[in-house]
Amino acid sequence: MATDVLPIIELRGVVKVYTSEAGDFTALKGIDAQVMPGEFLGIVGKSGAGKSTLLNMISGVDHLTRGEVIVRANGKDVSVHTLNENDLALWRGRTMGIVYQSFQLLPMLTLVENVMLPMDLCGLYHPRRSRERALELLTLVELEEHANKLPAFISGGQQQRVAIARALANDPPILIADEPTGSLDSVTADHIFELFEHLRENGKTIVMVTHDKSLSPRFSRHLVLADGEIVPNGKREI
Amino acid sequence: MRPRWRKVFLDLIDNKLRTLLVVLSIAVGVFAVGMIAGTYVIISNDMSASYAANRPANVQIRSDDFDDELLTTIRRDRAVAEAEGRRVVNLRVRAPDSQKWVSLDIVAIKDFDKNQINLLNPISGKIKPDKRELLLEREALKDLDVQVGDKVEVQLADGTIKRLPVVGIVQDPTTGAGDFLGQPFGYITMDTLPYLREPERYNRIYATVAEGQDDLVHIRQVTADLKDKIEKAGYQVRRTNSSKTHEHPLASVVNAILGILMALGVLIVFLSSSLIANTLNALLNQHLRHIGVMKLVGGRRNQIFSMYIVLILTFGLLALLIAVPLGGQGAYALSRLIADLMSFTLQGYRIVPIAFVIQALIGLLIPLAAGAGPLVRGTHTSVLQAISGDSGRGDGSKPKGEEKRESRWERFQVRAAAALGRRGIHIPRPLLISLRNTFRRRSRFILTLFTLTMGGAIFISVFNVRVSLHEFIGAVGKYFLADVTLDFDQPYRLREIEQYARQVPGVVDVEGWAYASAEALYADGSTADNITILAPPAESPLVAPIVVAGRWIRPDDKRALAVTEGILALYPDLKPGDAIRLKINGQEETWEVVGLFKFIDREGYLAYAPYEYISRQNNQANQAYSFRIATEKHDRPYQTAMSATLDQYFRDAGFKVRQAQPGLSSLDKASESLDILIVFLLIMALLTATVGSMGLTGTMGMNVLERTREIGIMRAVGATDGTITRMVMIEGVVIGSISWVFAVLLSFPITVLLSTIISVAIFQNPIELVFTWTGYLIWLALVLVLSAFASILPARNAARLTIREVLAYE
Repeated sequence: MATDVLPIIELRGVVKVYTSEAGDFTALKGIDAQVMPGEFLGIVGKSGAGKSTLLNMISGVDHLTRGEVIVRANGKDVSVHTLNENDLALWRGRTMGIVYQSFQLLPMLTLVENVMLPMDLCGLYHPRRSRERALELLTLVELEEHANKLPAFISGGQQQRVAIARALANDPPILIADEPTGSLDSVTADHIFELFEHLRENGKTIVMVTHDKSLSPRFSRHLVLADGEIVPNGKREI
Repeated sequence: MRPRWRKVFLDLIDNKLRTLLVVLSIAVGVFAVGMIAGTYVIISNDMSASYAANRPANVQIRSDDFDDELLTTIRRDRAVAEAEGRRVVNLRVRAPDSQKWVSLDIVAIKDFDKNQINLLNPISGKIKPDKRELLLEREALKDLDVQVGDKVEVQLADGTIKRLPVVGIVQDPTTGAGDFLGQPFGYITMDTLPYLREPERYNRIYATVAEGQDDLVHIRQVTADLKDKIEKAGYQVRRTNSSKTHEHPLASVVNAILGILMALGVLIVFLSSSLIANTLNALLNQHLRHIGVMKLVGGRRNQIFSMYIVLILTFGLLALLIAVPLGGQGAYALSRLIADLMSFTLQGYRIVPIAFVIQALIGLLIPLAAGAGPLVRGTHTSVLQAISGDSGRGDGSKPKGEEKRESRWERFQVRAAAALGRRGIHIPRPLLISLRNTFRRRSRFILTLFTLTMGGAIFISVFNVRVSLHEFIGAVGKYFLADVTLDFDQPYRLREIEQYARQVPGVVDVEGWAYASAEALYADGSTADNITILAPPAESPLVAPIVVAGRWIRPDDKRALAVTEGILALYPDLKPGDAIRLKINGQEETWEVVGLFKFIDREGYLAYAPYEYISRQNNQANQAYSFRIATEKHDRPYQTAMSATLDQYFRDAGFKVRQAQPGLSSLDKASESLDILIVFLLIMALLTATVGSMGLTGTMGMNVLERTREIGIMRAVGATDGTITRMVMIEGVVIGSISWVFAVLLSFPITVLLSTIISVAIFQNPIELVFTWTGYLIWLALVLVLSAFASILPARNAARLTIREVLAYE
């Protein structure tokens, strides 16, 4: 790895404390981490380890209690948590594609419309071009023949592929995936993983959370998270 | 279409019942306000325009017979623009082959071609009758079954029957415009009068003033001057009337009633807005995840905000598409009904721009205002809250939205059920769930309850007001307890009439009543208004007054009178024992007011003085023109039959009978007019009830939708279709029943308010309130039926869901 290349994502002392009537709960205890451009980083850990919270810190979906998250993409260094909600939404739409375990597709829109939605909201593509691009992305995930179906009429694995196509809509340099294969069978999960590997080969930086330790060898690097902390021995370079 | 706008479009058509509910709830309010606003504008313009177009007289004077010489003197007065003399005679008319006599005021006009005042509008046939021909005012056709070309029979005072062909039907928007309880009119030429054995002389002057045609003070002054002039010429003036050119005499009454309807319309909008707020709140709750997803993929707050603004505006536009044309048609239909009732012509169907603007504003702004709160809350929700469906996590703040902790009410329910259980009373679980569900969404429950309560309270109040009005009319009827009123064209001795009348089987008592016309004067000597003084025997059992201050008349009263409390409008500080100045038979006199009584004050004020005094003043002691007869029975058919019998009997005996009328006939007309008003009020009440039940339907629908998963779980553990349906319906009926209790409480102040506004508008005074069980019972039945019906559709939808569907529900 060249030393003059700056990390695309940098976490500095990230702390997240949840306050509830039962008392305070520290989900992240001062996380310091870096993600280099083109990496396929896996964050592995048990349920409740703080994996999803960490992803939410990176994507700006949740507020941090202390620390800083810096993202260097599209020629800009952005301290994510200094942005207001509107700027954050636009920045996220252009910089990151996010994929969730539960797909989070809008049920009333067809597949192609779901993929077009980020382009429509971020205004990076002309409406006609955005349709062509959405169809190209559906072709990439091998769902072009289902383009005009509603999400309810395709399988879970297919829905996840649509979610990935949607995440790629604005051609973001970073993909964030929260247990994308968690609700899929092993064959479908494998196909999804292959798709991520293909995207990494095409230059995308991918950060994926999973509780499945057996997937660790498939990442270019992985961090093990336990009780809100990175486990030093769990870190290894591939 | 761009995906976000396609989402908006699909949100509209995706849940058709919800869209229909929101659109209809906006439409009901917009329709009601559009209809009333349109009617208000049409009536305000057309009533006065139609009235003014027919050149109404500013001054109307009833006097002794006079001729052209006096008329010329009047015309020469500088304050007078035009003056016409007419003769008005009251005769009985009937259709050929009919036994029913109709009292008609026949107006003789000298030259229809030169007619400049109180113009007639042609309806059918001729507009100008020739000698021995009759025109009928269209109102007369309600009682007379005749057509143009038919001949009617006219009965003269001596009983002679004459025949006149009806050559035309006309509309007269001006003559008698202020008295919707008056007689219908017929029109003849002056040279037809001898045929009816009437002199070719005038007894009415109709005049317009040269300037200040809408200045009532000036017009009253001109009237007073003309009256003086006529009296100095040796004629007795019986009655005067002053009115503006561009204001229909009943405009204030109609406007007051429209004002009440408008207030109800605004209330409907207000109620429907709470329904809209409820529905939009639920919609945005359901769309929270969608908002989260859009924010996640780059959607900014203003983009999402504008999407939902467009959605809400589309609801409004769809409502306008329904409500604007219907409101326009409704406004014209209502205007036509009022125009028919008040006898004026509308200027044709038209769109009322201001009504359209009001509708558009209400249709678009009210949903926006109602949806603003939920929309702002929804779009401010963070991505994490929206996606996780947890509105209380993520930013370290305390939970928001629905209460997480067990409330006191919830603790009470649990403890109450446990306490009952310990005593061996076990409420079935499904019923318990229904009862608990009712109060789960508290803000939604309160809004629904409020809407339904207001609808019910107004509904009940309308029934109370109806009974109060009828009771009042009934109480006023006690001023006219005589079963038959027998009027003659000349005075007869009391004893003579009594002896004759008692020959007729069924006659119990006979009284002669005197009459005097007076003008009430202000301190500066100017005329305040007309006062009609009725003079029954002081201890007459045929008058049962509602005395509100002081006392009733006594036989030994001299220059003393009891007067309607409406006179307080002229003399606000007047009280029993005070003196007022009156002008009677051209003489200014001071009279003592001995008491005030309640009455309907239209066309001047009414006062009572003892016959014993007034008859002597009129030089008619022991004589009278008018007699009140009490009969054995008091029902309407008997009174009508006795009127006909007495009429015929006295005519046959050679008396000059003017008319014999059953005692309750004028009350019937008054009740009929009030019933029309009640119908309008009831329509508005039903609209509010409709909004209320729509609110309940929406609430139940939303409740069921939000509890889809729970319903699935209950089905999974053995709940049948019937159990699910019953649970939903019981919840609806519980809400309906609670709303009834609140509606009963709220109906008291609303009854007071409605009754006061209406009675002051119509009778000039508040009336005594009467409460009836009818409204309360009908509303109870209606609200239970409505609640059950409002729950049927959501209940059926809930029962239809399969376990797989509900557990897969997101």
